[in-house]
Amino acid sequence: MSQKSFTVAMIDALAHSLKNDPNVVVIGAHSFLSDRGLKPEDERALWDAFPDRLIDPPTSEGVCTSLATGAAMAGMRPFLNYGTATFAYEAFNQIMSETANVHAMSGGQLRAPLTLHMFAGIRGGGAGQHSSSPQAMYANSAGLELVLPASPADAQGLLRSAIKSDNPTVVITHTKLLAMTGDVPDGDFTIPFGQARIAREGRDVTIVATSLMVREALKAAEALAKDGVEAEVVDPRTIVPLDAETICASVRKTGRLVTVDEGNALCSISSEISALVAERAFDALKAPILRVARPPVPIAFSPPLEAHVTPNADKVVAAVKKLTQA
Amino acid sequence: MALSPREVLARMLLMRRFEEMVITLARAHKLGRQHLAIGNEALGAAALMQLRAGDLIYTTHRNHGHMIARGVDPGKALAEILGRAGGLNGGKGGTWHMTDPSLGFQSTSAMVGGSIGLSVGGAFALKHKKTDNVAVALFGDGALDEGIAYEALNIASLYALPVLFLCENNSKEGEAQTSRLATKELTAVPKALKIACASVDGGDPEAAGKAVATALAHVRDGNGPYFLEAQLVRWPGSHQTVHAFTTGVTDVTAAWDSAKASNVHAEWQRTDPILRTARTLIARGTVTREDVVALDNAAAVTMAKARGFAEASPYPKPEAALAGVFV
Repeated sequence: MSQKSFTVAMIDALAHSLKNDPNVVVIGAHSFLSDRGLKPEDERALWDAFPDRLIDPPTSEGVCTSLATGAAMAGMRPFLNYGTATFAYEAFNQIMSETANVHAMSGGQLRAPLTLHMFAGIRGGGAGQHSSSPQAMYANSAGLELVLPASPADAQGLLRSAIKSDNPTVVITHTKLLAMTGDVPDGDFTIPFGQARIAREGRDVTIVATSLMVREALKAAEALAKDGVEAEVVDPRTIVPLDAETICASVRKTGRLVTVDEGNALCSISSEISALVAERAFDALKAPILRVARPPVPIAFSPPLEAHVTPNADKVVAAVKKLTQA
Repeated sequence: MALSPREVLARMLLMRRFEEMVITLARAHKLGRQHLAIGNEALGAAALMQLRAGDLIYTTHRNHGHMIARGVDPGKALAEILGRAGGLNGGKGGTWHMTDPSLGFQSTSAMVGGSIGLSVGGAFALKHKKTDNVAVALFGDGALDEGIAYEALNIASLYALPVLFLCENNSKEGEAQTSRLATKELTAVPKALKIACASVDGGDPEAAGKAVATALAHVRDGNGPYFLEAQLVRWPGSHQTVHAFTTGVTDVTAAWDSAKASNVHAEWQRTDPILRTARTLIARGTVTREDVVALDNAAAVTMAKARGFAEASPYPKPEAALAGVFV
């Protein structure tokens, strides 16, 4: 184990992938590698080691997605970094109609093993065009795997799995997680998709949270513990595929569910998890399911407006208290 | 109608002092990043000051200069950058998305290529209404990397839409370029699509003013779109992520006082459109040194008042975050 930042963990996953597979190529390398916490000599060593496989393309998200997908279909394993998540909307046709359909539409004859990475989330002053949490849209594509890492170790292991995966995989990194540090296993390792992590054990309520919201859920759980409420925090880590068993088993134990999601509540990841539990573990519920998520409004620039709609630990505590005090 | 060189210089000074005030306030209020238009004043003033009521403007994250050049209230603009209720957008847009429809601002998009795409929609409506108004798309050279640029240029030409594509090119060959076009000639693509094109020195307000006048006349007369490339100098601080007076607070007396010459920023002092224009107008006898100082002082007074208004404006009520999504 060693202490690493979230970004350095992701870069290490990328470095292992580049070393182990000559078909890995990084498109959009600069905004992934530079000013992300690497020592200058380490960053320089990376650029020097892979001069032809670390690429800075034109500001052309559409064709970069087509290029990466086409190259993946023809035997490469591209990692495409869009930078800010909204920039990927410039490529939505390519992602949704082309990339997501490659395997199924060909009757299983073709595959597109590529990774689409983006920095997302309400980040402070991002206003309407730089504050998106688009995970539900990608979950809705049918054909894309969806990864939402919440810790440095998960970031490294899940990113390594994403690049090894033979399916197109979307990895969404919350901007506010970039500086987070944590213990990461040494060397090259993977974390399999579809395995939730119990981030904290508890008996009174299950909090299912993703990405940055795992941290907020854990903060909420600490605060609740002082009032004698023991929350279990479950981080699904991947939404496609989703570990329904772990989530339902937790709700069966606690009898209560709060979902925490920075995405817009309407048709969201939190909606999906709520529906899943309602379908499979309704008999175990002692109280209604509550969602803590972004209301369906564009994020405003002004700090008090942004704060008002951003899900956080206080809002999670309030939701849990509503259930446990009912 | 030719612009008064003195008024253009006055507007350019206000644009510069506005951006310097943004740096000051950003430090004082710990704001995030802004994209400043320092170095773009000559083209901005010369172009935006020629627009008429009813013309539609589409700009980008680097919009402050365009707003001030067109005559937007600097106090309301500063308040918006501070996220205050008295801001142009009531605090909802911030630095990247300032909007003032009363002066024709339709869109301020931070998505690269966003302004180019929407401008052809505005032009389509203007043509449909049979006005002699024009749509103006302002964008950087990097926007030409986006597919939407090609699509918008093509449809504007195909439908003979009344739109001026005004490209602020601050990339210089040999330096880090924003655009990654396979051709270094930015007008090659619009030319191939049969759009009238020109390139102009965007640091010279007189040359830029004439080029914009020619372009606007072409578009207003129903001849279809026009693509004007304005070659700008790149302010050394244009990519700054930390708020800093990279080249120092502008001292207009450096236009004539060799004691103010900087060793570090000699090239900037040579090409800075403010100093350059002041030197030209003084040499020509259009203004005196004292005039330049007086115009600059007037800009400083305007900005001090603007700062007072912006900082006194309260934040919006948090619940306002939930309102105004639909009409």
